[in-house]
Amino acid sequence: MKGYKRYFLKKLLWFVITLIAAVILNFVLPRLMPSDPIATITNRITEGMNNQNAVMQIYREYARKFGTDQPMWKQFLIYVGNLLKGDMGVSFQQYPRKVTDIVAASVVWTIALQLPAILVGWMIGNLLGALAAYIRKGFDKVLVPVSLFVSGLPAFGLAVTLLVVFGITLKWLPISGGYSYDLLPSFSWRFIKSVIVHYQMPFWSIVLIAIGGQAIGMRSMSIYELNADYVKYSRFLGVKDMKVVGYVFRNAMLPQVTGLALSIGTMIGGALVAETIFSYPGLGSTILSGISSADYPLISGVTLIITIMVLTMSFAIEMLYGVIDPRVKAAQSD
Amino acid sequence: MAKIMLDVKDLSTKYITRFREDVYAVDRVSFQVEEGKSLGIAGESGCGKSTLALSLMGYYFAPLHYMSGSIKIEDREITSMTPDDVRKNILGTEIAYIPQAAMNALNPTQKIIRFIEDVIQAHDPSKTRKDIRDMARQRFEVLNLPADVLDKHAVELSGGMKQRTVIAISTILSPKVLIADEPSSALDVTSQKMVIKMIFDLMHDGFIRSMIFITHELPLLYNVTDDIAVMYAGQFVETGSAEQTVFDPIHPYSRGLMHSIIVPEAGTRDQKLEAIPGTPPNLKNPPDGCRFAERCKFASPQCCASDIAFSTIGGGRGYRCIYSEDRLKEVYAHA
Repeated sequence: MKGYKRYFLKKLLWFVITLIAAVILNFVLPRLMPSDPIATITNRITEGMNNQNAVMQIYREYARKFGTDQPMWKQFLIYVGNLLKGDMGVSFQQYPRKVTDIVAASVVWTIALQLPAILVGWMIGNLLGALAAYIRKGFDKVLVPVSLFVSGLPAFGLAVTLLVVFGITLKWLPISGGYSYDLLPSFSWRFIKSVIVHYQMPFWSIVLIAIGGQAIGMRSMSIYELNADYVKYSRFLGVKDMKVVGYVFRNAMLPQVTGLALSIGTMIGGALVAETIFSYPGLGSTILSGISSADYPLISGVTLIITIMVLTMSFAIEMLYGVIDPRVKAAQSD
Repeated sequence: MAKIMLDVKDLSTKYITRFREDVYAVDRVSFQVEEGKSLGIAGESGCGKSTLALSLMGYYFAPLHYMSGSIKIEDREITSMTPDDVRKNILGTEIAYIPQAAMNALNPTQKIIRFIEDVIQAHDPSKTRKDIRDMARQRFEVLNLPADVLDKHAVELSGGMKQRTVIAISTILSPKVLIADEPSSALDVTSQKMVIKMIFDLMHDGFIRSMIFITHELPLLYNVTDDIAVMYAGQFVETGSAEQTVFDPIHPYSRGLMHSIIVPEAGTRDQKLEAIPGTPPNLKNPPDGCRFAERCKFASPQCCASDIAFSTIGGGRGYRCIYSEDRLKEVYAHA
């Protein structure tokens, strides 16, 4: 157990180092973009004014407020200081809204869309893959090509196809937004119904692609495990077939758990496509609007949240892996 | 007259490949094993030894298929039983198996005790976890295995320990017949000795009542089993006591097999080793007549003409050759 503790501490140390590196990059990279967001804001506010002095005054006032007149290293220290207090600064574009408020409002949408979609896709995919390996015959012959086809589709291609077929041609589902424009977020029946209806297309566009990839992986892992020596041995000792299938399923699942961690890690990449195409009010849409207006604090805030989510997920999976696979635990303790 | 534990008559099984071809891996094999006795099965790789081991359990799944013949365990015919009946009432309790690759025979993500629970509850669902733990602990103690193995995973055990654990699990329900398929082939000599001693202790203590031991190492068989059967291309070509088969083989193949072994003793350096030329026939289309004829120094045209019967002579001996025993002895004397 001592070895495992050391492994845990080592991983934790790496977690912290990666996080620090990510914070620095999240701060620096947006600010290297060739544009002056303060000028953009000043232009917007002073439209129609022709007093140059007053415009300069306003520009300087904003620069002072946002801290962009300070040298970069000083800005960074202020940023980190604020971050430790849980403050990500104020958005340039949506001034005076706080970045934390904007992120909090959109992260809920993204998680509510992506997490169930990835989990559902993962579970259905693994179930189908395991069944295909166990049943073989016709079921396998249909599942493999269909899965290959679906998993090979680019995310935007599938999303646009769904949008055209169900949204425009059949008019079954709304084509954009998280809920109807004429509604305000509330706990009314109408609002919830609207959210569920708007949820369908982005959800299935993610689920379908996830199913394909997972099913193929699970199928080949299960076929491999079904031929393992322990399967034959267990059967010849009279162990019930369902129990043996249970062993096979568990062992075939191990690489799939890594697959799940990876897809949760890339959750935001997937979010960007689905959320952009369906104008879904999540992190993807938020970061996209932040980038188009060089909104440094907003970009840094969203990327930081993404980084933390990915890091936490992979850390959790690495820890969990030792629990579900004794071989990994043995290797971890070395 | 000792009780006959396993009585096999004319057992034939085949593999059906994924190209729908039949491979006749076990062809009309007959033998008996008496209580307290052990039968060794010898033969080169691919002769059907391991397939025979799997065929004896009356539980077939693709690509192995039963064709004909009878298997009786203490007068109980098992080939006519349903697969689930065999699973529940025969496997593990009447006939048990130690696989060739014991190294990988244990599920890597399961504790040993959990697997033992699954094995025992598959036959007797009324046993509680506590009963099973007590039972396993007791048996491990008798076999000189540390009891803490029960709460370990397979990765935490050494090769020899894994092999001995597998043997303990296979025999935990005290089967009447134990089939050991090369249980020691992947081990060094010291572990090999421990494993073989363990199997014989099991027999001595009455946890198993008869045994079939499969190996390609003839010196090992001679030292450990009472009788030896020599297998070639899916058929038994000779059976007899270990002493007779090793030192006085009748069939030309057995003779060739015995002559191809070096025993590390004084004078071995100068001994000439005889090899059997050629390779075994393809069992998809086994040749007519004697299957060994093609490689046999003493073959004549009649050997390939028609099927050769297995002739039994006195004292439990038998062989499959067109020539009589006396004729063969004469031929060997001139060779």
